[in-house]
Amino acid sequence: MDNQLNSNILDLYRTLGNNTPLSYKGPIDDHILQVIGTYIGGLLKHSPKAGKKVFKIFIELAQNISYYSAERSKLSNNKDIGTGMVLISEQAEYYTFMTGNLVKTDDIITIIEKSEVINSLDREELRQYKREQRKLPPGKKGGAHIGLIQVALTSSNPLDIEVNPVDDEHSFFSIAVKIDK
Amino acid sequence: MENLEIEGSHKNFFIPTVSFNAKTGICEISGESFLEDTVEFYKQIVEWLERYIDEVKGPIAFIVKLSYFNTSTSRSLLDILNLLKDYEDEGGEVVVNWHFDENDVDMEEDIDDYIIDTGLDINKIPY
Repeated sequence: MDNQLNSNILDLYRTLGNNTPLSYKGPIDDHILQVIGTYIGGLLKHSPKAGKKVFKIFIELAQNISYYSAERSKLSNNKDIGTGMVLISEQAEYYTFMTGNLVKTDDIITIIEKSEVINSLDREELRQYKREQRKLPPGKKGGAHIGLIQVALTSSNPLDIEVNPVDDEHSFFSIAVKIDK
Repeated sequence: MENLEIEGSHKNFFIPTVSFNAKTGICEISGESFLEDTVEFYKQIVEWLERYIDEVKGPIAFIVKLSYFNTSTSRSLLDILNLLKDYEDEGGEVVVNWHFDENDVDMEEDIDDYIIDTGLDINKIPY
């Protein structure tokens, strides 16, 4: 048995702690979306309003990973699925929903720029921006941006974006968003 | 012309229930919409409406009772509403009734955005 690995997983477990009702790392296909989606529904039954928001945000961000993550997994049915992380943490007043995945460094500038635009807009401007983006033909990459706009609208909080280079070609892109209870 | 009937499900994705009646023109979509291939799913709905407008030329009452839809669905809904607006502009009789949970502020905003986007009179019906 590899003791090093065992103590790593214990560290991870402790780091996540009691206020992380959900954490997942792996490929995100339709089954995972369904399972986690259902789980969120049950988990947040006591706060239905926040629960619905967490669910909506989960669908948009998890779908972005599934489509656009630079890290891919081949499933047994030969489907090529994006891999990434999904985390929910709970505080007294709010939930934080987080995702993280690898992105090609070439694509990262666009994502950061879009996120900054989103964070600079008030609610009315954000709605207008969404309407403008929605009218554009649904190119694959464009789809991710309207998802991010929707996440900002649903949470009513800014997107907390971080990018850390991991090698010459890839960066780890993480996004955290607060959902008030 | 045949009716369009699709039974909704919650299995892997959320497939909405679709019931479009070619005799009465009452076209209802309900449930939740989050699909593997949104464009493909809504294509059959748009094509049905185009045929109805072309052949039957009757009134259309579009009834929306969706409690949840994702952003790619929201694009397809816009396509449907634009089609209905064009039909109305050409003299077709169109009514859109959108039912929503009165506590769901986001959904009400979505409906308002569709009204702005399409210029259609959408009746907002809280429940």
